[in-house]
Amino acid sequence: MNETDVTEEHGLVKRATGIHDLDMVTHGGLPAGGATLIIGEPGCGKTIIGLQILASALERGEGGVFMSFEESREQILRNADAFRWGPKLRESSRCEIIDGQSMRQAEFSGAFDIEGLLAVLDLCARRVDGTWIVLDGIDQLLRRQPDSQTAIDQVAQLNDWCIEHRYSLLLTGKQMGDDNPRPDYLNGIEFMLSTILRVSSTLVDKRLNRRFRIAKYRGTRHNPDELAMLIDDAGIHLPYAEPIVTEEVPAAGERIGTGIKRLDKILDGGIYRGSIVLVSGQPGTSKTTLGAAFLAAAAKRGERGLLVSFDEFARQIVRNVGTLGIDLQSPIDSGHLKVLTRASWAALVEEHYVAMLELINNFQPDCLVIDPASALLKSSGADSAFLALERLLTVTRIRGITTMITSLSEADDPFNESTLSHASTLADTWIVLRYQIIGGERNRSLTVVKSRGTAHSNQVREMLLSTNGIELADVYPYGSDVLMGTARAQKESEEASLRQRQLKDRLRQQNRLARDIDKTRSIIQQGQEDLERLQEELKVEHNDESAIDNEVYRHERHIVRRRDPNEGGAKK
Amino acid sequence: MNRPLPAERQHNDSPLILFVTGEAPRSRRAHLNLTAALDETGIDVAPPREIDLLREPQEAISFDIFATPALLHIEGSGHRRVLYGDLSDKQSLKDFLSAL
Repeated sequence: MNETDVTEEHGLVKRATGIHDLDMVTHGGLPAGGATLIIGEPGCGKTIIGLQILASALERGEGGVFMSFEESREQILRNADAFRWGPKLRESSRCEIIDGQSMRQAEFSGAFDIEGLLAVLDLCARRVDGTWIVLDGIDQLLRRQPDSQTAIDQVAQLNDWCIEHRYSLLLTGKQMGDDNPRPDYLNGIEFMLSTILRVSSTLVDKRLNRRFRIAKYRGTRHNPDELAMLIDDAGIHLPYAEPIVTEEVPAAGERIGTGIKRLDKILDGGIYRGSIVLVSGQPGTSKTTLGAAFLAAAAKRGERGLLVSFDEFARQIVRNVGTLGIDLQSPIDSGHLKVLTRASWAALVEEHYVAMLELINNFQPDCLVIDPASALLKSSGADSAFLALERLLTVTRIRGITTMITSLSEADDPFNESTLSHASTLADTWIVLRYQIIGGERNRSLTVVKSRGTAHSNQVREMLLSTNGIELADVYPYGSDVLMGTARAQKESEEASLRQRQLKDRLRQQNRLARDIDKTRSIIQQGQEDLERLQEELKVEHNDESAIDNEVYRHERHIVRRRDPNEGGAKK
Repeated sequence: MNRPLPAERQHNDSPLILFVTGEAPRSRRAHLNLTAALDETGIDVAPPREIDLLREPQEAISFDIFATPALLHIEGSGHRRVLYGDLSDKQSLKDFLSAL
């Protein structure tokens, strides 16, 4: 017997089913020896679980036996052909498919034994060295017993036999809802088996929603939650099976540009790598443009970008943002950018989640834009939209993918939006785009509502779109309001002319003063000259006075000498 | 259909085959019930062949018989009828044998 992929936990030996998500929720697989019952309504995927487990076993080089009490060998193989792993069942020499539907046409007289069945199963399992045995539609066999106790005893017998021979047995059986009036042969079995998986389906918005739950798994840890189950060509998916280990989340310190220089400045240098940005706003507030600018900037840095649009077709987006000078075509051509459109209404939330996860896994983007993420609310099963988004964002965060999600607000006030307001708690940076209607015109505004770890500006900025891309302009605070667009321009122009006028007035005043100073200076100069002239005059006056005095003295002396007899006046 | 019948099984004296598993009580009861019913009805038929699936499990696949006891009737036309159980319900056994 092949013992690969076998784990032991508290004495319980488990065998991996090979269905990744199932192995996650069961913490390693199903009992390596013993029966597991998969019950559910018709069409829930019970048979597919069995077939996929078998195909995985074959893939790993193990063998297996599949016996159906409901369908022929050819029907089973045809069902399996719809899956990637289907041909394996047809081609492998280690796969035994037994047609047990002959029981359906038989008549019954009293109770019967299953030792013959066990002998056949043992023969087939040994022939292919098998580890897995699937009995599909076991209820078709058991309901033929005259009483349900015999059926229950025989399931116990099957279980014991598998434990003894270390076969992993899968029993699938139909079980209707609680309101089903028919006697249910599987009811008692639930109490007896230690491993029970329950699958169910409901219609949500006319779309089939499959659900999976481990109703019972004794002696081991497991995820007991009801989980969404998807079936695609790869088989079974339980999108939310994988536990999110948040400790792995790196806290990057590197900041990257948003593609709008002014916004980067407001955000203290840009957004943190690996962080989440929520851009919310009403229709036409340029959410997509902001996303496109972000990805174009990423491409310029040589990074890989992924844009998942739920709104527009890829070509429209590329064309529209191209008119604003944002070039997405070049990075698309160079393989740096992928733009994809998904119709929100065309799939379940979980399907979108799985598809986006696969895109991320395959393309390995550095930057991701989901536009608008609120469209997930329009898809079927939207009650889990937030869960899907939360998980997706955790994945991007763990992987360091810088993510921008946009959210369409229906209400006038984007802060009161009921749509994705929850997402704002997930986002590290929340940018709100709005319209301001002033003076008969709508103007776009941008506000950074929050930005974790960033000393950001809380001011509203006007967002201007031109052929050169997006620019942000300061708004004009006017009383308790802000002015934008024409009103801002007009106010700015009024401000400018007033400043001009004030400047001219000041110049005039300066000139006048200068003139007065000159005038005063010339008055002072004139005064000085007068002063000097008067002083000169005075000096001359003094000199004249002295000369006259001297003359008078000499004259007097002359007179005196002439009168003095001792002094001969003639001698003089 | 499962793997085809081995050639030697195509020719059988009796149209009836009783599939049993060893000495299981239901198998023994079926054997007794069948013998009694055949005696009672006086049908002139070759004694039913018995196949023990514990010894010949491959026969289960050959005949598409997966529970025991099982009474198989292969009609002349090749049409098969199977009656499962310990044949304790006399009326259904009688109805089954009436086609012989």
